[in-house]
Amino acid sequence: MSEINTPIKQPHSIKISSGEYYQRWRLVKDAIARYAVVAGGLGVIVAVVMIFFYLLYVVYPLFISASTKPVSDYAVPEQALGKTLLLEMEEQNEVAARFTDSGHVVFFDVATGKTLLTEAVAIPEGAHITSFAQGSPINQGAVIYGLDDGRAIVVKHQYKVTYPNDVRAITPSLKYPLGEQPLLIDDGGAALQKIAVKVGDDSSTIVATTADTEQGAGKIRLVNVQKEQALFADEATLTRTDAVLEQSAANIATILIDKDESNLYLISNDGQLSYFDINNKTNPSLKQQQNVVDAEQTITSVAFLNGDLSLMIGDSSGLVSQWSKVRDASNRPAMQKIRSFKVSDKAVVSINAEQRRKGFMTTDAEGVVGIYHSTAEREMVKDRVSTALPTAAVLSPRANALLLQAADDTLHFWRIDNEHPEVSVKSLWQKVWYESYPKPDYIWQSSSASNDFEPKYSLTPLVFGTLKGAFYAMLVAIPLALMGAIYTAYFMAPTMRQYVKPVIEIMGALPTVILGFLAGLWLAPFMEEHLAGLFTMLMLVPVGVMLFAFVWQFVPKSLTQQLAEGWDAALLIPVILFSGWFAFQVSVPLEALLFNGSLRDWFKAEWGIGYDQRNAMVVGVAMGFAVIPTIFSIAEDAIFSVPKHLTVGSLALGATTWQTMIRVVLLTASPGIFSAIMIGFGRAVGETMIVLMATGNTPVMDLSVFQGMRTLAANIAVEMPESEVDGTHYRVLFLAALVLFMFTFVFNTLAEIIRQRLREKYSSL
Amino acid sequence: MTAQHTRTHSIDVSSVLQAQKKNDEPLEPCIKVENLNLFYAQKQALHNVSMEMPKKKVTAYIGPSGCGKSTLLRCINRMNDLVDNVTIEGKVLLHDENIYDKAVNVAALRRRVGMVFQKPNPFPKSIFENVTYGLRIQGINDKRILEETVENSLRGAALWDEVKDRLNDNALGLSGGQQQRLVIARAIAIEPEVLLLDEPASALDPISTLKIEELINELKEKYTIVIVTHNMQQAARVSDFTAFMYMGELIEMGTTSELFTNPRKKQTEDYITGRYG
Repeated sequence: MSEINTPIKQPHSIKISSGEYYQRWRLVKDAIARYAVVAGGLGVIVAVVMIFFYLLYVVYPLFISASTKPVSDYAVPEQALGKTLLLEMEEQNEVAARFTDSGHVVFFDVATGKTLLTEAVAIPEGAHITSFAQGSPINQGAVIYGLDDGRAIVVKHQYKVTYPNDVRAITPSLKYPLGEQPLLIDDGGAALQKIAVKVGDDSSTIVATTADTEQGAGKIRLVNVQKEQALFADEATLTRTDAVLEQSAANIATILIDKDESNLYLISNDGQLSYFDINNKTNPSLKQQQNVVDAEQTITSVAFLNGDLSLMIGDSSGLVSQWSKVRDASNRPAMQKIRSFKVSDKAVVSINAEQRRKGFMTTDAEGVVGIYHSTAEREMVKDRVSTALPTAAVLSPRANALLLQAADDTLHFWRIDNEHPEVSVKSLWQKVWYESYPKPDYIWQSSSASNDFEPKYSLTPLVFGTLKGAFYAMLVAIPLALMGAIYTAYFMAPTMRQYVKPVIEIMGALPTVILGFLAGLWLAPFMEEHLAGLFTMLMLVPVGVMLFAFVWQFVPKSLTQQLAEGWDAALLIPVILFSGWFAFQVSVPLEALLFNGSLRDWFKAEWGIGYDQRNAMVVGVAMGFAVIPTIFSIAEDAIFSVPKHLTVGSLALGATTWQTMIRVVLLTASPGIFSAIMIGFGRAVGETMIVLMATGNTPVMDLSVFQGMRTLAANIAVEMPESEVDGTHYRVLFLAALVLFMFTFVFNTLAEIIRQRLREKYSSL
Repeated sequence: MTAQHTRTHSIDVSSVLQAQKKNDEPLEPCIKVENLNLFYAQKQALHNVSMEMPKKKVTAYIGPSGCGKSTLLRCINRMNDLVDNVTIEGKVLLHDENIYDKAVNVAALRRRVGMVFQKPNPFPKSIFENVTYGLRIQGINDKRILEETVENSLRGAALWDEVKDRLNDNALGLSGGQQQRLVIARAIAIEPEVLLLDEPASALDPISTLKIEELINELKEKYTIVIVTHNMQQAARVSDFTAFMYMGELIEMGTTSELFTNPRKKQTEDYITGRYG
């Protein structure tokens, strides 16, 4: 060393002396690198775990149940003004109203019970109230009083919110939507025993039963009032039509008119439900009569569920059943029980529907309040609010407070915390019988323009769509990618492989939005137009290739040897192009000859298979195209890296190239091939842009290759911008994301475990 | 088995050869190489090689690295076909049939001329499947035949006693020496006429090497064996005939005892005395 004068010093000790800056710096760099790598690795794990926990954090509130909390109890205000017929509460939970049997309305502070305003309804002198009902829909705030002289008066309670000095002030008032003069319902002047009203801006309908008089038995009268506003005048003209229902008025306990004024429900004391079609106001027709409670039970409470499509019928055994209009076998609408809730062992005293969701509140004879959600079939909370028998109860419009009056003349004001009742494991994954649907089904339909809409949050069709899309993509991608990989790695001339492999890998760098765009706007219409050509091509191209291979044997050796070994595959390109072109040419006359000119129509007519333009076939091709480079590249690497000595060993035993490939190469490369397929599958499951543009996004559960689908990923992309932050819909979309996350996580983990096992088996090569 | 024993064995071999010489029985040639030239692209790797390898004898190729001995060996079962840009001129006759004839089925040829490589290359399958591989690719799936073959071949390769209880275990779990004997069992399972051994023991430890050498001595009862080796002692121990190659040419070939004790060419003498190589 010394004679060539190297600058390297020989350390005398293995301990670092202070002067050896370089040695120290080397160790420092090593430590920095080690910590940086550890930090990076941990960072990745932490990021993934945090994503998972964030998703969980957003999703969690969906599954917690509701809670109730007592706020205040106080004596019923202005007891001198009569018994409570109805309790009402306004939106802010500040003012409540008590409608009394003496025709007074007492507005009072919800929290304290302090009377704010007392109003007398304009009931004419001498008339007495014989019936009372809350108008439909309940969020309109209308009530109707039926009088003993055959007249009725409709009153609406309303609340004006002002902000004097930046403090909210709520002023209650009464209004008479049909005029302060009572409407004459029964011209015979018989008392109105039961009554119901639907109040609308243009049209109102009143149905009432009259008492028996000397003139005859009581009748059921239907009065419709059409209000026509003249264009430039203030006055409105009222047009009135009358009808009498062909049914006995006796025994009628409850009358309900839906908000469309097209259906009328009469419930009798003995548990009989009569359903009338009242679209024609002059000629109501009875559609169905049915017993809706078990024998020996009586109906104790009835209410519409929000939207007026379902009746919630509570009976004396504590059972609340939901009846909805469903088309029966002969396609006629008929009321049918779609589910029921056992809310108590005692009789159901009242049922109050939520005004904005498909939830409802029940009270039983022992003062226990239960809050339920019909679609999700969830019992959100159950709590004893009063020890005395409840006489009236109301759920606030936002369903976040309740007011209950008990037989001991006490009012109980409770807060309710019930944010997300719509979702349950059943409503997410199992068949749910939605209102007006003929049978239970899996449906994703998250929102619509109307507030009465029943959200349908079934993730099953989305998971189905995801798997279907991935399945068809893999159906296209796996054979092409694996065959391509096998050929490229094992048979292709090395020089040709140098070009082919990067070209296919570059395909993978193509933005999927371009693929989706092409698939949706070019491929889908093209396939629709040339369906027969496509199928002909699928048959003719392999035939063409086989034919070419057959002919190739007879080409003189002198000619074939001109071609460098392994380049013969390139000759197939014109063959494939030509047979493809030929297939499209020949398909037109063929389609005319065999399928009456249109294969699509033929499928529809002969097999009943409908054709959607955006369908699984388009997605399979487009997403397959996106997945092919991934699978190809990994599988090709795996096959190519099978040790040479194994193939040579097999060949030396007299195996043919093909046998060697099947029995040794593919076997040895199987962990790599497996992992290629898994990664491709994961890619297909998580793919968003292509499915967004090419599937049609219809959440149907149909395996047909000609039908579209909606995937979890596309669903999130489509609906997230329109969902209200922290709303149920928003959280359900996060749940979809969580499902997707878990799906890929479980799948990848499983794949990795299997791959490790395989690799262990085929290791040490 | 000890080194002592092996030495005795090799002495036996030479005495057998001498006995044959005395009887003046002509040895029946199994493989004949005639004027073989081989080019890797432009580079010539074998120069006009001609030789004969007698039936049921062990012929060893020795020579320094890169002298073409492995290339020559690979010509005998046409493994060189797998290498790109190889041109071969001349003939290799197996029982007077030119294996480079157009009509020859290469897979059938390789079935008759088995080969064992330097690095043990069992397939990532069970021991049983490894041994039966050659039969299965010929479409033989009769369980009885397969089991019989496995036992016979493993016994033939002196491996039976070690693996008979774990035939379904993965072959990759065997030691290097066992793997190499398994590969030999796999090769003899299809009952080839010729066995080509390309430095079969160079990747093994001394004890495994000893076992392989001992095996070669047993195998030549049934097979014509051609072995390429770096190790001159090994060539001396196991072979009946030895060919010395240098720079792609066959320098000298003769009975092993003659070549090692009385080489005709100076190059041979230089090599075997360790002056180069």
